[in-house]
Amino acid sequence: MKGRYDDENLKWIPVLILAIFLFPFILKGATSSYKYYLYVLNIAGIYMILTIGLDLLSGFTGLMSLGHAAFLAIGAYSSAILVDQVGIPFELSIFISPVIAGLFGLVIGFPALRIEGMYLGLTTMGFGFIVKRLIIALREWTGGSAGMPVSKATIFGFTINNDWDNYFMIYSFVIISVIIARRIVISKLGRAFMAIRDSEQAAQASGINLAKYKMLSFFISGLFAGFAGVLFAHTSHFISTDHFDILLSIYFIVMVLIGGAGSIYGAVLGTLFIVLMENLFIPLFKDGLAKYIHLEAGDFQAFIFGFIMLLFIIFQPLGLYGMWLKIRIYWKLFPFNPRRRST
Amino acid sequence: MKRYVSIIIMAALAWIRCENRVTSPGVTDTEILIGNIQDLSGPIKELGFLIPSGTNMYLDYINAQGGVHGRQIKMLIEDHGYNPQKAVVAAKKLIEKDQVFALYNVIGTSTTEAIRPILEESGVPLVAPATMSGTMSDLSRKAGHLIFHTDAGYDVQSNVLVDYILEQNANAKIGVVYQDDDYGANVLKGIAEAEERHGITIQREAYQRGATDFVGQTGNLMKGGITDVIIGGIVREPVTIMKTSQAMKYSPHFFGHAPTVDARVGLLAGDAGEGFTSCYFAYLPDSDKSGPALYRELCEKNNVPEKMRGIYHYYGFATAHILVEGLRRAEEYPTREGLINGLETLNNWESGTYPPITFNKNDHAGVEKIMLLQIQGGKQVAITGWLE
Repeated sequence: MKGRYDDENLKWIPVLILAIFLFPFILKGATSSYKYYLYVLNIAGIYMILTIGLDLLSGFTGLMSLGHAAFLAIGAYSSAILVDQVGIPFELSIFISPVIAGLFGLVIGFPALRIEGMYLGLTTMGFGFIVKRLIIALREWTGGSAGMPVSKATIFGFTINNDWDNYFMIYSFVIISVIIARRIVISKLGRAFMAIRDSEQAAQASGINLAKYKMLSFFISGLFAGFAGVLFAHTSHFISTDHFDILLSIYFIVMVLIGGAGSIYGAVLGTLFIVLMENLFIPLFKDGLAKYIHLEAGDFQAFIFGFIMLLFIIFQPLGLYGMWLKIRIYWKLFPFNPRRRST
Repeated sequence: MKRYVSIIIMAALAWIRCENRVTSPGVTDTEILIGNIQDLSGPIKELGFLIPSGTNMYLDYINAQGGVHGRQIKMLIEDHGYNPQKAVVAAKKLIEKDQVFALYNVIGTSTTEAIRPILEESGVPLVAPATMSGTMSDLSRKAGHLIFHTDAGYDVQSNVLVDYILEQNANAKIGVVYQDDDYGANVLKGIAEAEERHGITIQREAYQRGATDFVGQTGNLMKGGITDVIIGGIVREPVTIMKTSQAMKYSPHFFGHAPTVDARVGLLAGDAGEGFTSCYFAYLPDSDKSGPALYRELCEKNNVPEKMRGIYHYYGFATAHILVEGLRRAEEYPTREGLINGLETLNNWESGTYPPITFNKNDHAGVEKIMLLQIQGGKQVAITGWLE
């Protein structure tokens, strides 16, 4: 009898995991600026966990969210308060804080039962504003708009002191998140999510409880975002309301779309692509291109960013993962690829 | 034999001398690299262009004279778009990748707060952060010993404004309109201190960042019989509040914190802005002091467009004086510790751009004096000397 994963080639996964953990050593040998690159990769890793969750909500269930920066904030502030003020160990906080964010997800899931599309997007955006105001109002715990310092993470007696240690912690969690998300997608739960995305009426006719699964999708997505928030707080060591603005939520949507909505690997790829593009590649070519395109320094990044997004939407709507699938299919069929016919 | 011994001794001495040339990253025999993080793409990107432009004008002037200890000062600018997370990435890049000697003029409160852990970890000093939050000179905070603040804090400004109002009218009823964020929190800190000192109660009215409607706040101030209103805003807020008050036939005395010293307040408010009193912690660009005189001279020499000249361009120019003086006071082969020690020797130092500046091990608030300026006949006129 064929196993669940038999139609997939999983041989490369251990190699990839090994490569992930060997990468910092290669980076350290290659450049003295490795700490900066590791920090950028750490931020990418944290965002990957969030976008995996967002993909489960938007890509797999078809529910739009413009408020994921708020879930990130809830996770970050919950952990900062629990660890630094209540005195709960970090190991416990990584379970409790995501659940708090998940419960907020459940609350947001309620309106999703009646509204959809752009209106749901606006509701979640409103949720983002409410969370921001809530953080300011609870200034005794959160430090208000002035922000609050956050301690270093200590996991099983080992303190995460620098970006090097943090890399191994974050990417271990990224791998775990990918595995969990993949399990969800191929389970009954994932199939229900996809059925809702494809046709709510058809899903309901098939016996899928729309209310239950939509709220579950928000809850799970909140869990992932809250977990990313915990890592975010203890990586940044300082959080404020300015960290979690509406632009960040849009940024997460862009990551999922560029990676390819409805694909866990796509979310990971899209996040890595955007973070590296913003922090490494655009600054690298900025000076050279500035000779030909006359823009203010700050606008230049936005211009290139927008241009790339436009190219993706027009020429590669399935995103990076879709691009990879096309390459893979082409390679499998080679040299018997069907020719494109002009009509 | 003696010849060989003397050669060996000479070589050993030369080696020891070379070994003593312990410098920090960002310093070569010909150059000192400074990092600056500005808002080039966010809500205050106009300032992000003007402030470093003023700094570079002064650094070019110093470099043309041979630099500091024979080294040219070069400034790298990164963008944070007023996002603390991006500020952290920018600081990491400047410190870890570009290996700057020191950071300077990082703009914004939350963005500067966000990079404190990096400063602490790397030991990189931050000279003249471009924020008026009083928390910058709080030595008990993380990396407090590495930050040298040159702006009088909002809390200090609030205290001085309340003192001045009560000095003019002991029966004044004071109200404050503040932005409900870190700026407002620091304003309220000073207001609370002033309330305690004078045994009075000040009416508080909050607004959200970006607000354009102040009818509610103005109505509340009217109801409270407020005679003097302190506005913790930037440009749009004081203009709108004064125009709204004029329309509501309510005419208290209006005061503002340092960001409201912008000449656009007077221009946009028109006759509603007549008598508006703002405060500032440096000599204004049109003052007859040596700093502003040099500023005007360099602006002419470099053909700086008229629309660029003003409080923010001048701010970059003025704070650069403190950076350069700190570098001068660091050793000939500067280290980061040398820069910190050098800045801490400033004792009532006259820069020509600021009131006398003092830093020491227990005090990193360089300027705690402000001057009041009033709009009279559409022009800003200094109505006091330095107030503490």
